[in-house]
Amino acid sequence: MGLHKINPESNAMPLSLEQIFETVRANVQKVLFDVDPSLITMDVSLTDLGANSIDRVEVAMYSMEDLKVNVPRQQLAAVENLRGLVDLLHKNSA
Amino acid sequence: MKRAINRVAVTGLGVCSAIGSGLDLFSAGLKSGKSNFSTTQISPREHGSFRITASINDCSWPDWLEFFRERNPLLVSRARKIFNNAPDSARISARSAMEALLHRGMDGGFHQSESTGIIVAGSNLHQEFCALNQVKFQTNSGSINPRYALNFWDTHQVGCLTELFGVGGMSYTLGGASASGNVALVQAFESIRSGSLESCLVLGSSPELSALEFHALDVMGAVSPEARPEFANRACRPFDRDHQGFVFGQGGAAIFLENLEVAKERGAALLAELAGGAVVMSGNHLSNASLKPEVRAMTRALAASGQNPESVDYVNAHGTSTPMGDAIECQAVHEVFGGHAKNIWINSTKSLTGHCLGASSLLELVACVVQMNDGFLHPNLNLENPIDSELRFVGSKSVPVSVQTIMSNAFGFGGFNSSVVIRKLEN
Repeated sequence: MGLHKINPESNAMPLSLEQIFETVRANVQKVLFDVDPSLITMDVSLTDLGANSIDRVEVAMYSMEDLKVNVPRQQLAAVENLRGLVDLLHKNSA
Repeated sequence: MKRAINRVAVTGLGVCSAIGSGLDLFSAGLKSGKSNFSTTQISPREHGSFRITASINDCSWPDWLEFFRERNPLLVSRARKIFNNAPDSARISARSAMEALLHRGMDGGFHQSESTGIIVAGSNLHQEFCALNQVKFQTNSGSINPRYALNFWDTHQVGCLTELFGVGGMSYTLGGASASGNVALVQAFESIRSGSLESCLVLGSSPELSALEFHALDVMGAVSPEARPEFANRACRPFDRDHQGFVFGQGGAAIFLENLEVAKERGAALLAELAGGAVVMSGNHLSNASLKPEVRAMTRALAASGQNPESVDYVNAHGTSTPMGDAIECQAVHEVFGGHAKNIWINSTKSLTGHCLGASSLLELVACVVQMNDGFLHPNLNLENPIDSELRFVGSKSVPVSVQTIMSNAFGFGGFNSSVVIRKLEN
């Protein structure tokens, strides 16, 4: 059950880290709807914000869908904070 | 060691239905003979996917949460988290359960007590949720709701509710087709009667069927073929000469059952006694009703409740508006009650709420308790030409009647036959 490689032509322009972070931030607020928005920074981990394992999967999946980027599941497992997720999304969007 | 034989009381009720969600609205709807059938679009948009159904449309999950927030803000906050992105059926179950438990009186929940259990009655509860994810999966391989692995199981409702209320006692889902509610009540009854549980929340909501299931039921001839919007409120006509099949109803109900002595000790309001019940199988994998097993279920339920047929003054019928089902149930009433049959009031709640499938006998138990305590019996809508002229069907308007001993029937595909007996309790 591998994820298919996305056709690179599906992204019209390369995404900036800021754009990716904004998408991730919006999804964190969607999944953890009572979290204080000011706590959502690059250096925080989802676990610190009160996310359980399935919340973390949701944030990643919604972000991948929104950005039309696929990150293989094994790479996601190593993510420790939002910066790590943003970097992976950026790396896989190229 | 002497085996405990405890009596079982109803001490909490919750309900969601097309005629009103919440006990007060539901009761008012029953009394006024309200119905709310309409043509509904069943997705996907092919195969003539408009059906007449009775849908809950007076409220939504956020509104329900807001309604309960004042009573118990912590409970609502937990419910919001647990049921975030949950299928509709789970949320209807949750609303019903919250109402029943707040009605029963609960502070912080049961603190993982192993003396309280939860039974979610019904099966195949999340079919529409599965169908939507199936479409997502096939059009964009690998893309699905991340919680699908948790949410698609029926037992997800058990997990959610035991967490919400802090329940540690034996809990599970229970399948009995359209008799699921009654079968669950009998199971809960046995658990409390024997002392293995002190209390049990029995609940369920109608399964959210997908277009495939609706179509299949239609193909089989089980549902009413009526599709004209202007006839929506006339399609469901239990025991009427022009009945043609059942009409789906969206709904949910929760009943809190408790050891009567324990309930008395804590000064609980005793809403009714669940006096007993029975489940008898026809040994038939098909959908048709069978007379003898129905008679056996009703007879055994009376025996289990320690009641004579003559003590029953009201039967809440299964009454689905199917030609064969309605006819056989009438015959069964005659056989069980003999000469007394003509004295017993009969109605079918489905004529107002539609057929909520596995949850139907739970909504009907709520209807029985409400009618018994409020001193009325609700009408049989659309009963213009009864198929049995000897039985005492309630007419088109409610009647002010005081009943003491009620029988509620439920029969299901695959040969399930069930009956429970409810009695009035003096507080």
